[in-house]
Amino acid sequence: MPRYLVQFAQAHNDFRLPELQSIGELLGISVTLPSDLESRDPMRPVMVIDLEVEEHARLLARRCILIKAVYEFYAQGFTYAELHEANKLSQPSWARYIEDTSFRFLVTSSQHKIPQARQKEVIESFSYMGFLGKIDMKNPEINLICFEEYDDRHKTTRVRHEGDGEFREVFFGRLLEEGSARQLIAKFDVKKRAYYGNTSMESEISLLMANQTLASPGKFIYDPFMGTGSMSYPTSHFGALIVGSDIDGRQMRGKGKTPGVIRAATQYGTASRIIDLATFDVTHNPWRCGELFDAIVTDPPYGVRAGAKRLGRKKELPDYKKELCLQHTLNGRPDDQPYIPPTKPYELSHLAADLVVLGRYLLKPNGRLVFFLPTVTDEYEEVDIHTMLCEGMEVIANSLQDFGSWGRRLVTIRKTTLEKYPPPSFDPTPEIDANSHIPAHKDFREKYFQGFKSKTDEFNDGASLSDP
Amino acid sequence: MVRLITHNLLACHAKDCNTNNFPLAFKDVQLEIREAEFNPEFLRGFLPKLEWTALVDTAKQLGDTSLPVEQPEMLDDEFLKNLHHVLLEIHVEEGSMTCPNCGHVYPILNGIPNMLLAEHEIG
Repeated sequence: MPRYLVQFAQAHNDFRLPELQSIGELLGISVTLPSDLESRDPMRPVMVIDLEVEEHARLLARRCILIKAVYEFYAQGFTYAELHEANKLSQPSWARYIEDTSFRFLVTSSQHKIPQARQKEVIESFSYMGFLGKIDMKNPEINLICFEEYDDRHKTTRVRHEGDGEFREVFFGRLLEEGSARQLIAKFDVKKRAYYGNTSMESEISLLMANQTLASPGKFIYDPFMGTGSMSYPTSHFGALIVGSDIDGRQMRGKGKTPGVIRAATQYGTASRIIDLATFDVTHNPWRCGELFDAIVTDPPYGVRAGAKRLGRKKELPDYKKELCLQHTLNGRPDDQPYIPPTKPYELSHLAADLVVLGRYLLKPNGRLVFFLPTVTDEYEEVDIHTMLCEGMEVIANSLQDFGSWGRRLVTIRKTTLEKYPPPSFDPTPEIDANSHIPAHKDFREKYFQGFKSKTDEFNDGASLSDP
Repeated sequence: MVRLITHNLLACHAKDCNTNNFPLAFKDVQLEIREAEFNPEFLRGFLPKLEWTALVDTAKQLGDTSLPVEQPEMLDDEFLKNLHHVLLEIHVEEGSMTCPNCGHVYPILNGIPNMLLAEHEIG
């Protein structure tokens, strides 16, 4: 199979492969990753993949947010000697450009700047290819690129050009297309949006989430924590139809007659794809039946900017007060409208587990649930994600956005079951017994505001307090 | 907003309101017609999810009689265009939806229905 070189944008390394695989699935492209672990390490800036045809590489570059460019792959090597040897074997791939094709030759790298003199030296070392066409630096017919991969030395001090030539590996290929989906990051920039709030999701991540949902024309997508609608703009841009709900309608409405979410969608030309917005608590939802949506995508509130809420009271009222409240609700004073029911906090690990059961009910078979889960870096364990799963729902991607002591994981879950399940009960899960695993995202809010102290720190603090 | 596609998927969810809780009845509505993209594939895929009689009756109530009483077997272009208009282009901007069983009124303000339940209506 023909091989292609993918150059990734230097961001969100952990999201690269899930995106590549999702878009492959969406567009019906078979993407074969390198078989050895080192070559498919997503932390590396480039990767050689197998695709059926060149057009597939171009399609990926037009939709994947994290693809900087795609190339026809000619050769790779740990030294230039190896590279040239491999490139000579690839001659059938580039021979057609020898006779009369204008070209430009670039020597680039990641995390490093190659001095001009050595760039020239490298270019000259390719002279055996014998290209006869014109060298054209502005509008060449083809771009040949030699890419040196250096280890990430971010945040280290070093003298200029230090370690030049000591690359990890060098790659050579012909540029097919630069990734055009990256331009969407600027288009969906929150600062330029007609309506946003303090919990709006940054544009690049919301685009990555949209790609995980496989958003495309005619897909029906639901966001149960709609907020200011961050997830609806990129998904509707890709053609999907969106329904959103939130327990607090004010976030969706904003000020003014036209709801804020619709104003922002109008700016992006997708207002007609925001099917509806509704105010309700997802744990008391009015959906008449299940298997409605192709995807559920959401950024649930995790308590730092805004806490998740559900209907109910923190503390049960005594009966006589309950009666008073009921009378008040039924015969509301005209100056006290609309009636706003009491709410109580919705603890994150419950919310996450409920979301998965809700997904199993509301998603069509093979539908996807895509959401962010914050977690404490030191405490996170792989099993955390599995504590919230239920039968028929399978994790297919789990990418970390690292903020140091905490981070958030973009979790993609696929509904694998064809069975119909009853609507979830949303009963508060019975108290977990001492033996079961407590995920790191439980009580995230408290942990966040305590600065993520570890268990041993707490112990030490206690000890120092008791000292005289 | 509150398009008929959404209306067809919403049932009253108050505590113990489990039968005859659908469809919610529109009252005092202000309508707007807004164009939407026609996607026959989407409509075909969505058809099995619809409660047909509820859709036809509600459309009629809002003044659109283009849909046949029985869901046709042959989905021709004209039918799909009518279905598209009813499901996606009629927007209820103001008014309310009332549960036929328990009488709960869900008000619609600026196109967004408030479907929150009162304290005594949750389990």
